[in-house]
Amino acid sequence: MKNQFQQTQGYTIIARWMQDKGMAPFRFQENTWQKYSRGYSGIVVAPTGFGKTFSVFLAVVIDFLNRPEQFAEGLKLLWITPLRSLAQDLARAMQEAINEIGLDWTVEVRNGDTDPLIRRRQQRQMPDILLVTPETLHLLLAQKGRDRFFRSLQCIAADEWHELLGSKRGVMTELAISYLKSQYAGLRIWGITATIGNLEEALQVLVPYPGRKARVTAQEKKKLEIISVFPPEVEILPWAGHSGSRLVEQAVPLILNSRSTIVFTNTRSQSELWYQLLLEAWPDFSGQIALHHSSIDSHIRYWIEDSLSKGRLKAVVATSSLDLGVDFKPVDTVIQVGSGKSVARFMQRAGRSGHTPHEISRIYFVPTHSLELIEAAALKEAVKTRTVEDRTPVVMAFDVLVQFMVTIALGGGFREDALHNTVRNTHAFSFITQEEWQWCVAFITTGGTIGAGYEDFHKVAVQPDGLLKVEKRRIGMLHRMNIGVIVSDAMMRVKFTSGGYVGMVEEYFLSRLRAGEKFMLAGRVLELVRIKEMTAYVRLSSGKGITPSWLGGRLSLSSNLSHFLRQKLAQAANPGNREPELRFLHPLIARQQEYSHIPAEDEFLVEMIHTREGYHLFMYPFEGRLVHEVMAALIAFRISRLYPISFSMAMNDYGFELFSDSEIRLTEDQLHQVLSRDGLMQDVVSSINATEMARHKFRDIAVISGMVIQNTYGRQKNNKSLQSSAGIIFKVLEAYDPSNLLLKQAYTEVFNQQLEEQRLVAAFLRISKSRIIYRQATRFTPLSFPIKVDSLRQSLSSEALAQRIQKLQNSSLKPGRKTKS
Amino acid sequence: MNISEQIITFAGESLTLTNQGVLFWEKQQALVLSDLHLGKAAHFRQNGIAIPSRLAADDLEKLGRLIGHYQARTVIITGDLLHAGSNKETDLLAALTNRHPGTGFVLIRGNHDRLPAAQLHSLGISAIYRQLKINDIAFTHLPAIEPDGFTICGHLHPGVAVQVPPYRTLRLPCYVVTPRQIILPAFSRFTGLDTRPVIPPATRYAFYEDGFIAIPET
Repeated sequence: MKNQFQQTQGYTIIARWMQDKGMAPFRFQENTWQKYSRGYSGIVVAPTGFGKTFSVFLAVVIDFLNRPEQFAEGLKLLWITPLRSLAQDLARAMQEAINEIGLDWTVEVRNGDTDPLIRRRQQRQMPDILLVTPETLHLLLAQKGRDRFFRSLQCIAADEWHELLGSKRGVMTELAISYLKSQYAGLRIWGITATIGNLEEALQVLVPYPGRKARVTAQEKKKLEIISVFPPEVEILPWAGHSGSRLVEQAVPLILNSRSTIVFTNTRSQSELWYQLLLEAWPDFSGQIALHHSSIDSHIRYWIEDSLSKGRLKAVVATSSLDLGVDFKPVDTVIQVGSGKSVARFMQRAGRSGHTPHEISRIYFVPTHSLELIEAAALKEAVKTRTVEDRTPVVMAFDVLVQFMVTIALGGGFREDALHNTVRNTHAFSFITQEEWQWCVAFITTGGTIGAGYEDFHKVAVQPDGLLKVEKRRIGMLHRMNIGVIVSDAMMRVKFTSGGYVGMVEEYFLSRLRAGEKFMLAGRVLELVRIKEMTAYVRLSSGKGITPSWLGGRLSLSSNLSHFLRQKLAQAANPGNREPELRFLHPLIARQQEYSHIPAEDEFLVEMIHTREGYHLFMYPFEGRLVHEVMAALIAFRISRLYPISFSMAMNDYGFELFSDSEIRLTEDQLHQVLSRDGLMQDVVSSINATEMARHKFRDIAVISGMVIQNTYGRQKNNKSLQSSAGIIFKVLEAYDPSNLLLKQAYTEVFNQQLEEQRLVAAFLRISKSRIIYRQATRFTPLSFPIKVDSLRQSLSSEALAQRIQKLQNSSLKPGRKTKS
Repeated sequence: MNISEQIITFAGESLTLTNQGVLFWEKQQALVLSDLHLGKAAHFRQNGIAIPSRLAADDLEKLGRLIGHYQARTVIITGDLLHAGSNKETDLLAALTNRHPGTGFVLIRGNHDRLPAAQLHSLGISAIYRQLKINDIAFTHLPAIEPDGFTICGHLHPGVAVQVPPYRTLRLPCYVVTPRQIILPAFSRFTGLDTRPVIPPATRYAFYEDGFIAIPET
């Protein structure tokens, strides 16, 4: 029995078109179409590969077919996507559908790669559907006469909304939508998202406006299979990086037996390493495998992506650079090297194989040390229960706000109260106070409240009629170049002396190398010849090179995953467990149990290990590296308050170590005291250098708010006298304008992102409810060993490291004296 | 202002380093400083970058007090007096030089000092040189080592990164003193620091509000 909607002409045409193609609409697609036709906004939640695009896109088409008189000439659907590379393919698919359905609509892309000719034509005449990134959308808003672009707009779609949601790009999207909504009240707004923990919030952030809203969730689920790759034997004292390399031998047949494989790693240096290891293990791979990460030249990356989708590559070793993007149809196998770090990321990576709706996505998990196998068990549990992380929306990002205000001032100006409303209507700024708003206005018109009245500031000028506008051409030009919130480290190009471009590396890394030193990039060993004008000239070399350890390359374990990890570790203590990973790890677990303890879910383990080198205090919160960094500093601070002592610190995702060569005396009572929740954040602030952290955070803020002109290659010459580092500006603001909102934002970001305040507080709450197990030992335990190794890694060359670890393993494996407190 | 001093011997002369970013040559009654970058904040503001505007006034006020404190007859600026052209902040310099009619202001031209001499004179700069030699000491902007001469220069904005337990790094401006050269710190607050290692033998005298930290490299 057909419902009323199914009898409409629009629906009939689309249904028939699908039928001709041998497809039938999924239930969630039909639901979306119907909700859309009834004037709803909303979000669609569906796994990749199930035709998410066709839910919202066809909804607009059906609506047009049903009521063509409501549609005018010009842009009808604005499609925001986070990825440039996605846009081209999407546009092609949409245009194809439209042609087959028999409409005369055009679909076009607009981004940094768009031909200037097409751009100019779009200026005069917009296509019916336009695909943009948040940045290009803001660039459109910065154009004079922007309003004529959007006059016929019916719908804004935010694709991959979960990707945008937790970032400042999400705030850009919110602001742009709110601006358009303020001009065209009837707009319908639809998000398309993968499963995340906070779907309701995702909807409210995208559509905070009154009116009818729907959440359409696909019942279809992507089948996912996780297969652990076991090392030949269990390492009782595991250390990161070691067994991973040994597992290359086992990864080779997986690649050989697949059509095409993506090998995901967590850092760029790990991807460089694995690329080399694969080539060494199977020399025939030469020319058949490639390396893909964000420091590799974008043209090479496009070529790799293209070759991958055409099935010309056997494997690609990648970082998160390939997490998202177009489907690579030939890819039927995914290998994850090392921790997945979060359930969402792991599922997303798994989903890169097996695309068609009912295929199984298969992912092989290669642990970099045997303890990581527990994580495989944890991931399986999390995937089974579909416990996916939240994406926390960014709020009160004043840097993005002031940028947006100048953007709007540039494209024809704004009236203060009207824009104030627009801004307040977003989720991100729903709590903005009158003072804060005034501050932002002052920041762009008079150069801040400090120094107001100093009339040589000309960014945005208030016109006699009250309109706020950018008057100076040069300011407009600088601003357009700076639109966006993706701030990259100062990068240097790497070129061969003979010509030919290799890629980009952080200036920070190269500036510490001397001529003649070797490093690895793009799978090659390169010798530095000289550095000139932001370009490093190199020649091809051989032998061993340093792998750049890129800043910020380290992801932290999500709190979701750490929960499952604690659970699985606790379960591992019980023999007879049916999970193969836990069974495999039995010797390791047994040793941990014998010499120390396996913490149950309601226990918190602390180990005091005395070796010849000194005293090691280990704690295992399983909260991820970032939180452990803060906790380690805090515990060190609290102990040193009891008596003078200094520590060195080390940490991984599972726990942290405080090391001292003098005795760490800590009674059971004192231990409870240093783990107390009392005065937590106060002690955290005393134990870390918040100013230094804030200065680091301010780097992005300064660029986004336009205080630092980004140093892009080839352009810096024009603006040389305007170059200054965010660090200098930070220093100046701290001295002269401590109440500057951007400065305050830097501190807030430190607390929310760096210190993960909420998570830290939650962790201490959990610890306070746990039974604290305090163990003494004279040898390293399986849990402590990887942390110890990580701390050595910082200070030793790789050969010295291997020897040293061997020695440590041997001495720790000797039957030791067991002492329990 | 809490002035703290460090006396060194250079080219056979006794020179006083101060924690205020100026060097005092007592025998000559001369204050030597470098890289004032006057007008930088104003230049940024003109281009829509909201740097607090008190900056330049503070720098000049401090210089005024130092001139008074040391009763300086001459102020030698080893380059980069002005950041870019003339603007409101450069007017403040004219006011300062006016207030000290008994003091000569000597500029060694730096790469930023592009104003014509006449305009510089109108701001109260009494003499302009590429390089100036007093006794055995040559004053230049760019660091250059003359095999048997002695130079005092600027340009680099030298600094050091000092590890302060627990887990802190302090970045401080410094003087770099070698047997034949002194590189002066930048006087302006609105400048960065070059904290790259120096070639030994050299001593870096880093300074902060209350004193000096000497870091010898041998």
